[in-house]
Amino acid sequence: MILAQVIVGGLLIGAVYALFSSGLTLIWGMMNVINFAHGEFVMLGMYVAYFAFTLLHADPASFGALAAVFLFVLGVLVYLLLIRHVMRGPMLAQILSTFGLLLFLRYTAYWAFSANFVTLPEGLFGPSLNVGGILLSAPKLVAGVVALLITIGMHLLLTRTALGSRFLAVAEDRQAAMLMGIRPDRMQALAWGLAGASAGIAGALIATFFPISATVGESLALVAFVVVTLGGFGSVPGAMLAGLLVGLIESLSAYYFGPVYQDVLVYGLFVLILWVRPRGLLGKA
Amino acid sequence: MKRLIAIALGAAAGLCFSFEAVAVDAVKIGVIMPLSGNSGNAGKSAVAAMEVAVQIINEPHPEMKDLPLAASVGLPNLGGAKVELVVADHQGNPSEGQNQTLRLITQEKVVAMVGSYHSSVSFTATAVAERYGIPYVVGDSVAANITGRGFKWVFRTTPIASDFANNYMEFLGDLKKAGHPVNTIAVVYENTDYGTSVAGTVREAAKSHGFNLVADIAYNANGADVSPQVIQLKEKNPDAIIFISYTADSILYMKTMKNLDYLPKVVIGDDSGFSDPAFVAGVASIAQGAINRSAWDIGAKGSTTWLINEMYTKKTGHTLDDTSGRDMQALLVLADAINRAGSTKPEAIQKALRETDLKPAQLMMGYNGVRFDQTGQNTLAATYLIQLVGNDYVAVWPVAKAQQKLTYPFKGWK
Amino acid sequence: MRPRRATGWVLLGAVLLGYPLVFSDAYYAQLGTLVLLGAISASAWNLVGGYAGQVSVGHAVFFGAGAYLPLLLYKIWGWSPIVGFPAGIAVSVAIALLIGLPTFRLSGHYFSMATIAVAELIRILVGNWDFLGASIGLMGPATPRAWWDLVFQSSIPYYYLYLAVLVALLALTFAMERSRFGYYLRAIHAGERAARSLGVPVRRCKLYALMLSAAFSSVAGSLYAAKFGFIDPNSGFGILVSVNMVLMAALGGAGRLLGPLLGAAILVPLQITTNSLFGGGGTGLTYILYGGIIMLIARFEPGGLLELWDRIRGRRAA
Repeated sequence: MILAQVIVGGLLIGAVYALFSSGLTLIWGMMNVINFAHGEFVMLGMYVAYFAFTLLHADPASFGALAAVFLFVLGVLVYLLLIRHVMRGPMLAQILSTFGLLLFLRYTAYWAFSANFVTLPEGLFGPSLNVGGILLSAPKLVAGVVALLITIGMHLLLTRTALGSRFLAVAEDRQAAMLMGIRPDRMQALAWGLAGASAGIAGALIATFFPISATVGESLALVAFVVVTLGGFGSVPGAMLAGLLVGLIESLSAYYFGPVYQDVLVYGLFVLILWVRPRGLLGKA
Repeated sequence: MKRLIAIALGAAAGLCFSFEAVAVDAVKIGVIMPLSGNSGNAGKSAVAAMEVAVQIINEPHPEMKDLPLAASVGLPNLGGAKVELVVADHQGNPSEGQNQTLRLITQEKVVAMVGSYHSSVSFTATAVAERYGIPYVVGDSVAANITGRGFKWVFRTTPIASDFANNYMEFLGDLKKAGHPVNTIAVVYENTDYGTSVAGTVREAAKSHGFNLVADIAYNANGADVSPQVIQLKEKNPDAIIFISYTADSILYMKTMKNLDYLPKVVIGDDSGFSDPAFVAGVASIAQGAINRSAWDIGAKGSTTWLINEMYTKKTGHTLDDTSGRDMQALLVLADAINRAGSTKPEAIQKALRETDLKPAQLMMGYNGVRFDQTGQNTLAATYLIQLVGNDYVAVWPVAKAQQKLTYPFKGWK
Repeated sequence: MRPRRATGWVLLGAVLLGYPLVFSDAYYAQLGTLVLLGAISASAWNLVGGYAGQVSVGHAVFFGAGAYLPLLLYKIWGWSPIVGFPAGIAVSVAIALLIGLPTFRLSGHYFSMATIAVAELIRILVGNWDFLGASIGLMGPATPRAWWDLVFQSSIPYYYLYLAVLVALLALTFAMERSRFGYYLRAIHAGERAARSLGVPVRRCKLYALMLSAAFSSVAGSLYAAKFGFIDPNSGFGILVSVNMVLMAALGGAGRLLGPLLGAAILVPLQITTNSLFGGGGTGLTYILYGGIIMLIARFEPGGLLELWDRIRGRRAA
């Protein structure tokens, strides 16, 4: 019984990890660029939800949509103003650029919103559900379900639509795609927008059960990187699978071993994957 | 080329001198706190509290009877000189703490230092003060050997971790004597230096007071999920839980406990997270009856402490918390010592600090007095235990200082 | 050497040697010392990150090892921190070998990612190991027993110690630049596959570069521990330690001899001054500025300020 609760808890949080990692993996797979500032996108999504609630008294169901729009725009802007240029440059510049973005976004939020932790009130989505003796926290359940739906949606978008195949074309061979009349620039901007949007939705969902502050991005980003690496760069279903797996591993090891081993296990797995099988579980070679 | 160098050197020299500006009458006290990063909020609150202390010292506040320096303007024994704070941000980084302390001492020429929230920063910053022979009063850091290194210039007004641990055990002992079942304890702590060191003292105190520690749960303060830990607690079902947590995790624990329908009988939080206004704002409704430690109690309307709280609330928009209060107390003790010294010479201030003997009525915090031993530690430091009732914490222990009777068990969201 | 270039070197030497005599005030002496420390760690990083182009963002692992060993040996046996220097180097080089072998098979972002992960892993492990002080850290001698405890009241002895180390490191880099090894590294940077096809022993060169870089990063860490007398997992192995190294080198010019020194000379005072000016207000403006500068370099002049200087003077770097 307890074990079931631990497992379910791990899967729920894992689904949320999957959600904010799927955007990251998209960019990574397409452009071989790591967005170190990804955690900050999620953080901003959290603040959008918070302000939507406190200033606009918006319905919780709309948080995700608002965050998605806002972060989509931010993602596209970041691509157009920064990423597009550094991609043609040396590796050092590419890595530095998103690090700089991380600091800039995090501390601008800090300056604007101050260091206070803020929270959305309890019970926005109702009380915990009791399913056969297992307690499911309502906001986490909503987050998990939405995450699942969006991830599946993203996967379908990539594999079953014309737009999706254009994305994949650019990811596979930029030059060839250009020859086929696809505009890589536009696709890449769109990818950044989508990544931003999914991070935003993830943030908005997490905000319903997790305290919000400007520095929250740090720990979230680390998880995203582990998930993306484990799942395989560029693979959205990989991110889903890996997210669930990481959530499960974290939950089980925290219960049985304590946080030291939990962290060591997750990082150790991360390093091991990079060394032994860099393409992760479902990534392409 | 040569001209460029000359200009550059000249500009640099000019910069040198610009740092020397000193107001003739003001007595400058250096303050280092974390003003950015995760603890930025706590640091800013502490600085605000110290600024209120400066207001009390510099302006006449006869209504705050018994509080030294309140009634007068400035420091009477120094001709009414005003106190001025010079504040620096150490960003939670021990080497930055050293840099800023060095700057405050050598550039800003502060006569004494107060700080620093993070124990790790207090370690390095006090070493600088020791080297330069400048008094350093630690108001809040609780790590044991900040005052145990044979330093002569470091003083600490706050109780330390082992004091708190013993207080918790005495409290639980009193509960037991009152007939409530308290035999097993759990300690839940975040795994950086704060949580680990305090957890160590709790473990020892539990052993020496004969309590059975059934759960010893460390966790990552930055984690997104504490369900596994709460499930563990639910399984072990201890009679009392002691949380040693920062803000985000404290909030997360309360929420998770509600979600998993786990209502322990006694919940004690070791200040920090539980004292952050965000905790009360966020989860007060589901954490009723949570016990916290604090040497700060607002007190009866019209009392000195109540008036101080009014000033602070007017300034910041929220009530004074324990940590900021302790820093404010440290500043007041320091100012009193400077006044008694009648001079800004470091040796004189050091001597006056050593001779400090303040009575409880002269303090804003609930200490039993202020008297430093030869390691610089205040031997009369003490704390209350307070309980969350509505949106406020009220003192419930020791019984002699209690404002209200303790409600048992923990109500949570019920 | 052309007369103008020789003058440049003499001038630089004079400024570095004479700085603490002119700016003997404690705060400025400290500032100078910190600039030199930054220059050492950034120059150490430069060996593998700038010249060989392997962008490691986990060099804190070597810095931290170098910082922990002296204080650990002091804690257990009461030894002078000086003994810790070679111990730190040995440990760091061993770590370099251990992680270098598997990690160098990765390239680009994957490599950087792996270095970050390894550094974080070590930070967590150290932070939970009581023997190493766990999260509380280690302290050095509070009051010195003799000169070899390396505890000085003034910053000036540290300044000249650091300067000596920096000169040694730069001399080594200078020699390496002109050696075959240096050419191999630059070839690897320009294109690994091409270099391999030309017969460059790619894997071995990258490893040697990493080991050399690790050794000097370790020395930087030991120098830090000697001065500050305190180390904990964050100040030793934290990600900001690694990022700072990369930044200083990148700002001045990665892959250039004096790039790291220039970067340190700008970033360290900038960081401390903005903190002194704005930090008191607690708004984190320091970091907003930092982030903005980093993005600007990355976007407009990834070769750093030295590259910009060359461009202004109408010269291209070789």
